[in-house]
Amino acid sequence: MATTSPSPPSTSLPGSDGPAVATFGLTRDYGGTGLFDVDLRVPRGRVYGLVGPNGAGKTTMLSIITGMRHADRGTVEVAVPRRRVAVCPDVPEFDGWLTAFEVVDLARSLTACRHDDAAVLGALRAAGLADSASRRVGGFSRGMTQRLGLACALAGDPALLILDEPTSALDPAGRAEVLALAARLRGRCTVIFSSHILADVQRIADHVGILRAGRMLYQGPTRDLIDTYLQPRWLLRVAGDVAPALAAIRAQPWAIRAEHTAAGELRVDAVSLDAGERGIPAALASCGARQVSCEPLAADLESAFLALTKDTP
Amino acid sequence: MTTVATAPGRPPKPMSAWRLERLRMTRTPRAIALGAIYLFFGLLGPVTAKYLQDIVNRVQSGVQVIIAHPTAKDGIANYISQASQTGLIVVVVIAAGAFTFDARRGLSVFLRTRADNMWQLIAPRFAVNAAAAVAAYTLGTLAAWYETALLLGSPPAGAMLAGLLCGSVFLVFAVSVTAAAASVARRTLATVGITLGVLLTLPILGIAGPLHAWLPSTLVTAPVALIGHSSLGDYLPALATTAISSALLLTMATLRLARRDE
Repeated sequence: MATTSPSPPSTSLPGSDGPAVATFGLTRDYGGTGLFDVDLRVPRGRVYGLVGPNGAGKTTMLSIITGMRHADRGTVEVAVPRRRVAVCPDVPEFDGWLTAFEVVDLARSLTACRHDDAAVLGALRAAGLADSASRRVGGFSRGMTQRLGLACALAGDPALLILDEPTSALDPAGRAEVLALAARLRGRCTVIFSSHILADVQRIADHVGILRAGRMLYQGPTRDLIDTYLQPRWLLRVAGDVAPALAAIRAQPWAIRAEHTAAGELRVDAVSLDAGERGIPAALASCGARQVSCEPLAADLESAFLALTKDTP
Repeated sequence: MTTVATAPGRPPKPMSAWRLERLRMTRTPRAIALGAIYLFFGLLGPVTAKYLQDIVNRVQSGVQVIIAHPTAKDGIANYISQASQTGLIVVVVIAAGAFTFDARRGLSVFLRTRADNMWQLIAPRFAVNAAAAVAAYTLGTLAAWYETALLLGSPPAGAMLAGLLCGSVFLVFAVSVTAAAASVARRTLATVGITLGVLLTLPILGIAGPLHAWLPSTLVTAPVALIGHSSLGDYLPALATTAISSALLLTMATLRLARRDE
């Protein structure tokens, strides 16, 4: 049986170009459910979205990477020192009689030797909890507790940040803030971000892994997934007569289909996202059509996910 | 909104796994509960021994019960019999609350993914809970000693100190059993149940003659026997067994908790 090593020496994945996290044939069988032969590759410095329906194995995967669970087979290689791996679970819990500052400082003290109040306050500020630093966390709402979990993760200057459903308890404004925060870490830190909210993942993840029933269905750039599994489609609105625009687009080699759907509206299918995005403005310009709007239709991760998983048992 | 006041300009004290456990004791009712229960029995035990005849006279109906004139040993015995049960339960419940961090997944992830090793989490929990239990027991013993001296005559100081040592070593053992139980059960209630089951089973094993001198439970009644004809030398086997068992139980707890799956 291969060994599982959630915190191997950083020499296991040498060089700064190798993946931050890699798994090889990772299997954890809970009697038909779990994870099966998953080869994960998380590029260094990227935001990696791990998506899948409930029960797909996302939390099991993250738990094995963080050493909270053991794999039946396979190996995990993490090219980051253990002290610089930070984890924020979907439902963070803390001792309610500690203040927010103390909780984050405790997280810091367990991962970093140096005492640094500024780092603790900075993490609280980044999570939007600076004003609540001296409040006891027992009185925090679920959303505040989730932000506190994020502040704890940020306190130790992580090189790998693992966020399990970090927006599940947040209101829309809170979600946007957390997503923006995770996006800002791109380049400074590798972020693995699990979610079943595909719009969130599409918003910040440049790489995506799709898990279903414990198996990795797709892994790669988010953009490639949408290109590969969706026929890109746009709704065009033009002012005046639509006929010249319709003819110009139908004449393009990249255009699969162009239809007049309503007054002043055209629906255009292209061979690829890139071809459509470049070709539509040029085609409209060539015929002198006045474009009012150009809106992508169904070119989102959710549609790609559905297209990818529709034939998978 | 509950806030913790800090003096203006004074930097907050740095947190650590050790400070976490100290705060768990002092910022929650745990330390007060421990101290109060032992102090209560320390003050109550000798008074009960002194006035037991009067109490019996007030409640008896028809049958006359004559109780031997109370001695210093009776005062301490009353304290030990009461504190060794209720006090022990409080010690175990408080320790179980600290050791069962795996009962809450979010807390477990927070601690386990940050600590370098399991001992970093277990050592402060063990040390602070054991120290608090010994401090509370010492407080109760000093109260019982003072009141016994006041009401029933002074017990021998050497015997009292030796008894204090035996009782303290047993409480440290009880905390070790709690740690080991927390590595078997995940929930606090189950951990308390297993610990009390083990601690209450030990005296039954002691009924078999030769084992008695070696069992940790022998130390519970040592403070009373030492005031009589026993000497500390009689308890050396039990002290040795208890110390070794405590170390083994802590090792077992650390290894099992380190290997535990989420």
